[in-house]
Amino acid sequence: MIFSSLTFLFAYLPLTLVAYFLTPLRWRNLTLLLVSLFFYGWGEPVYIVIMFLSILIDYTHGLLVEKYRDNDKKARWFVAQSVVFNLLLLGFFKYWDFLADNLFLLTGLSLPASLTLLGVTIPLRNIPLPIGISFFTFQTMSYTIDVYRRDAPVQRNIISFGAFVTMFPQLIAGPIVKYKTVAEDLNHRVHSTENFALGARRFCVGLAKKVLLANSIGALWDAQLAAQGAGTLTAAGGWMGLLAFGFQIYFDFSGYSDMAIGLGQIFGFRFNENFDHPYLSTSASEFWRRWHMSLTSWFREYLYIPLGGNRGGTAKTLRNILIVWFCTGFWHGASWNFILWGLYFAAWLILEKYALRNVLEKTPAPLKHLYTLIVVFVGWGIFAMEDLSVCGAYLAACFGGAPLWSAVDGYTLRSYAITFVILITASTTLGVRGWARLPEKAQKILTPILMALSLLVCTAYLVDGSYNPFLYFRF
Amino acid sequence: MTKAYSRFLTAFFCLFLAGLLVWHVLLPDRGQSETENRTLAQAPAFSWSALVSGSYTEDVEEYFADQFPLRDGWTGLKARMEQLLGKREFNGVYLCGDTLISKVDTPVAGAVDKNLSYVDRLAGKSDANVVLGLIPSAAELWKEKLPAGADSWDQTALMARSQVDFRDALAAHADEPIFYRTDHHWTTLGAFYGANALLEVLGKESLKEECFTPEIASDNFNGTLYSQSGIHWLEPDTMEFWVAEEGLTVTSWRTGKEEPASLYDRTYLEKKDKYSAFLGGNQPLCVIKNENVTDGSKLLLVRDSYSDALAPFLAQRFSEVHLLDLRYYRAPVSAYAAENGIGDIAVVYSVQNFISDVNLVLLTQ
Repeated sequence: MIFSSLTFLFAYLPLTLVAYFLTPLRWRNLTLLLVSLFFYGWGEPVYIVIMFLSILIDYTHGLLVEKYRDNDKKARWFVAQSVVFNLLLLGFFKYWDFLADNLFLLTGLSLPASLTLLGVTIPLRNIPLPIGISFFTFQTMSYTIDVYRRDAPVQRNIISFGAFVTMFPQLIAGPIVKYKTVAEDLNHRVHSTENFALGARRFCVGLAKKVLLANSIGALWDAQLAAQGAGTLTAAGGWMGLLAFGFQIYFDFSGYSDMAIGLGQIFGFRFNENFDHPYLSTSASEFWRRWHMSLTSWFREYLYIPLGGNRGGTAKTLRNILIVWFCTGFWHGASWNFILWGLYFAAWLILEKYALRNVLEKTPAPLKHLYTLIVVFVGWGIFAMEDLSVCGAYLAACFGGAPLWSAVDGYTLRSYAITFVILITASTTLGVRGWARLPEKAQKILTPILMALSLLVCTAYLVDGSYNPFLYFRF
Repeated sequence: MTKAYSRFLTAFFCLFLAGLLVWHVLLPDRGQSETENRTLAQAPAFSWSALVSGSYTEDVEEYFADQFPLRDGWTGLKARMEQLLGKREFNGVYLCGDTLISKVDTPVAGAVDKNLSYVDRLAGKSDANVVLGLIPSAAELWKEKLPAGADSWDQTALMARSQVDFRDALAAHADEPIFYRTDHHWTTLGAFYGANALLEVLGKESLKEECFTPEIASDNFNGTLYSQSGIHWLEPDTMEFWVAEEGLTVTSWRTGKEEPASLYDRTYLEKKDKYSAFLGGNQPLCVIKNENVTDGSKLLLVRDSYSDALAPFLAQRFSEVHLLDLRYYRAPVSAYAAENGIGDIAVVYSVQNFISDVNLVLLTQ
């Protein structure tokens, strides 16, 4: 189930809210666990098993780490076990096919397509990816590590721990909530109508971003990609496509994060922010401090700093940057283009750190902004096109390898001009600043009106999205 | 936020979500959507195997969306929003002033050549005279009405393969209402010009406009493009019947049995799908006999729905016009023509159907 679906908005969410708030305080984690399992099982009935396994293993490892607190070697051993378990889970479901394919290409060795154990055949290839596995494995890994580092107390209640692992607001698309940020809320959180109202408002903002902004521009990217396939892509079309994809992924993802944060707040949880107007950045490294912040900070805390960060001299720092960005890229998907995308940013970050630093300092802000946008949006090209030959041809067209302009581009631009203006404005802090300047009374009147508009128009788009007329039924 | 204001926002949010849920539950499920012209998904039956495979939850989502309260109102609201944003294309339909024009998608590579070759093979197989007539769509004839730069598949090259020159016949009258503004079909006027183009190829005398007295069958016709686009604010179309029913006997084979039928099924005029009033819409086989034409000439039309408006005109010059639909009629066409003493076979398709049809292969049987 996704948040921007009719079944979520008008069946699952109202029923869940009723069930949750009718539950006595001390049982609310149980309700949260049950509704979250239902949420996960809705799309992935079989993979609920993974949830149970994840809860059990990480829960016991947390206890074991705590128990052997005085025996550091043993405690470390249990942390390692939990990390390895999560990485194996991720490795098997997400990366197995990729690894097997590339092993075959490199060495000609082919791994078995299935495994028969006690008469049961388990397929090993082309297994569907369990939704959200990249997110929840990272969250549960953070738990044992946080407990070991004494950043968070051990969780002795398996139901509360289960509620953390499966918590439906952030289960399938983040933000990646580190255990320590919610440890306190898990046991004692504040349920108030103010939290509910603020959460609901935030949810409406996120819903509008996802349904109205992200979905509205998605078709433009698809059209440009199709034009590339048909050989009619122009440079202008290519750049419009990259812009469209960049806006789509930003509003899709940050909208989803807003909805997650809002839902969390309704249930009394305080999640960290995940985006901070990334397209206002004036360098690639700033972009990554503003984009998918929960992932960047996860890698910094649990990988970059443990590797030694930037304290071991230039060679080691370079190595660490490359490792972290290889992993960041690979985390996004089991395909070479994602690895390339990660390394592409590693290259820019290294350049900015060592070579461009002085140049950038002297560059006026608008130019730095332009430079960052070009780096980021070309990056989206690498990100969006898994087939590297398609990606190469597409980017070549953007940089002059194709006619500059065609009549179709004029039509496209006229069709999307207003949408682009809205998307660009929504990427800045203009809205937030404008809102803050309004007198309190105006805010009070506007809030319910804007919420109603968001809900109404999003519902219209969602109902029409399912619109599938069978016109030639009567031919 | 004050407590009272928080309560107000909370209540408002919950009431919106829960209110629509309650409405959805209380609203009786519909079997059909008139506006969309299709059957709606019904509540799926639960089974463990369907749950495990994931099909149960998918069916529930489809059911939930199809039976959503005020469905048509929501689609209309979306179209309005898109219009405000400056969009000109709505679910594959271009809004061109007061007219909706369907976008023609580029056909799958090779599909057009295949379908053309099937018609050639029928010509080689049958003793009857076989002609192909392709009716260009509004996107071709009203090209200048499309938004500047709007993409639609170029039908010019395909037109050269049509033995019946519907294109020129219609283009000469492009400033007249030859297509509906809210439906993808040609109007009765368009079909009249088309009929003369076909009659010319078949060596028959052409029809005179003044011999007909148009009857306004409906002035409230909202067609397929109205439904597909969600644009519900245009003036409805007027639908006309030109050919009088006297002297024409219509026989239908809807269920495999021979049944008497009529040139116009006026019950459709009360429904959304008014175009189906012509001959009563889709059917495997239909024969129109004209007792006033006594030369025994017989025409077989291999049809799509455009032929339903065309056939009444053709029946003015033939003793019998047979309409055969390849999607429902599965016996060989050449054998049917031989058994019934058919002199001329006209394969008449609209371009949009011809380039995407997968049943033309049956012509080669």
